[in-house]
Amino acid sequence: MLTVTVRDLQYRYRRFLIGVLITALVFGVAFIFDGVKNAVRNEATRIVDVFGADAWVVTADSPGSFLSTKVVPASLSQQVASSPGVERAAPVILGRTTLPLHSPLDVNLVGYVPRDLGAPPVTEGREVRRPGEMVVGSGVDLDVGDRLDLSGVRVRVVGRADGLRFLFGTPTVFVSLQDAQAMQFDGQPLATAVPVVGKPQSLPPGLVARSGPAAVSDLRRVIKGGIDTIDFVSLLMWLTTVGIIGSVIYLAALERTRDFAVLGAIGVPRRQVVGGLVLEALFLAVLSAVLALPISYFVSLGLVFPAEVGATEVFRLFAVAIVVGLLASLAAVRKAFTADPALAFQGA
Amino acid sequence: MPFITVRDLTIEYSSGGYAVRPIDKLNLDLQSGELVLLLGASGSGKTTLLSAFASLLTPESGTIQVGDLDVTSLRGKERVRYRRDGVGIVFQAFNLVPSLTARENVMVPLRGARRTRSTARRRAEELLAMVDLGERARHRPADLSGGEQQRVAIARALALDPPLVLADEPTAHLDYVQVDSVLHILRELAQPGRAVIVATHDERLLPLADRIVELTPRAPGEARPPERVLLEPGEVLFRQGDPGELVYVVESGAIEIVRERADGAEELLDVVEPSGYFGELAPMFGLRRSATARAGAERTVLIGMTLREFRAQRAEAAPTS
Repeated sequence: MLTVTVRDLQYRYRRFLIGVLITALVFGVAFIFDGVKNAVRNEATRIVDVFGADAWVVTADSPGSFLSTKVVPASLSQQVASSPGVERAAPVILGRTTLPLHSPLDVNLVGYVPRDLGAPPVTEGREVRRPGEMVVGSGVDLDVGDRLDLSGVRVRVVGRADGLRFLFGTPTVFVSLQDAQAMQFDGQPLATAVPVVGKPQSLPPGLVARSGPAAVSDLRRVIKGGIDTIDFVSLLMWLTTVGIIGSVIYLAALERTRDFAVLGAIGVPRRQVVGGLVLEALFLAVLSAVLALPISYFVSLGLVFPAEVGATEVFRLFAVAIVVGLLASLAAVRKAFTADPALAFQGA
Repeated sequence: MPFITVRDLTIEYSSGGYAVRPIDKLNLDLQSGELVLLLGASGSGKTTLLSAFASLLTPESGTIQVGDLDVTSLRGKERVRYRRDGVGIVFQAFNLVPSLTARENVMVPLRGARRTRSTARRRAEELLAMVDLGERARHRPADLSGGEQQRVAIARALALDPPLVLADEPTAHLDYVQVDSVLHILRELAQPGRAVIVATHDERLLPLADRIVELTPRAPGEARPPERVLLEPGEVLFRQGDPGELVYVVESGAIEIVRERADGAEELLDVVEPSGYFGELAPMFGLRRSATARAGAERTVLIGMTLREFRAQRAEAAPTS
């Protein structure tokens, strides 16, 4: 019965082609959504990794570690550094600011002690060595050598780093701890956290150590709503593809009701007829998935930050396509199952 | 021993909520090698009977025996196997799969029966050559004439060399040029080991037939004197689905005309009182009775007469100017 399936696909190719193109577009967008979700999940790990910390010391009443709204005296880092089990500790400020560009740009601000924990991997120029210098991550339209006033502090771009976005693709700038204190706390010697290398055995009163994974979770908690929305929209898009392919196959099945009846009347087993329909739906869904890959590339060109797709996402796309194909064939299969072979005797 | 035996076959179905019984206690014996015509008007049950031969419907009662096989008792896979191997069907509307070529259409039952592609292809080409369509094997139905499509349908019906070939109005969509070749092929199919049953109302097929089974009761052509009928209260004159020959005029009492519903209930359509008449449509159009007639609560006297007699009496009774 493979011949019947192939010939039917050829016979109704215009309709199937339209269905495949629309489905491929939806698949492509959903695929990119998957990539965006990966990107915003992975960015949390990447930015936390920049600090190379085993633990994050924050105030005990702070709800999170990476995005703590509580502050500690920066000098506490010295006590932390001398705590048993701690190899290295340095104060950092993790906050947000706005770059006064042609169009104001909201960015994440990282203040760190130059040459200590929190120095980003620079791909152009050099890292921050002293106050008045800044390294910018992807998404900030500044070149090495550019100068600007940032919250009352005059800084010069000395380096650029790739990526390092976080909080749903927001770009990041890195300045010295001293500049960050000036920008965020009017120059008060405060910090939002103290990343440490090693395992603190005891800490000064009122401080707790949270793990690196807890810092990642802290970041992901903030973007959970966005991720859930992406998941929900993705689900709707997958369901839409079920609807598109299902409609195309079902319309074909409606037109073929007489054929199903005739095939039943001449003794073709029903499972062969039904198998052909399922095969058609699967073929359309998988073909749509194949076309979705180049489409997703063009869709991704319009994104503010790159989607991250790999073999896992491609595999998932085809797995979803197979499920979509199977679900999409259900209505048509039912039609084929219920076609009464006696219908074949009805006149033209 | 007959090749096909039909005993007390009754087929009933629901139409518009009413029970219709186009085949009622049919008995038939058909021999191998015969070409049998089922002749009758539309609605006389020709196609219904073919469907029963093809095991596409289950009769209300009775049996159809093809060779050693009781077709009416088949279910599930046995039924599918019988349709595939035991019977070939030529449909009125050809019913070829439009997306397939002529050859692929003939290959469908062969592939359904798990023949290899090359075997199926070879057999399809043989059959298409037999119906003189060897050169048109790669054409789709839309590119073939009605006669050619019907010949492809015949080739498909013969794909698995079935012992029984059924053809439903095979000439209905053909012009007189196309009819000739289709009839010729159908006649040749009836050979020892195979019976061909053709349902038709096309009387051009009569000379081809070895046997003719008339499913429409024909009104007797010869004159027949009116007959007086006496019915006791509640006694049935005729039942819905019976053949109809006479028109009845009520002399005394009353006749209830009731229609049997599919759910077994009865619906009273009319009560015919003295000097009223009923039952003229069945003999006029060669139909079966569409309702049951029975006496009312008292003894009823009727006069039954042929349609011709009835018309003559009505003409006499009509006022002249």
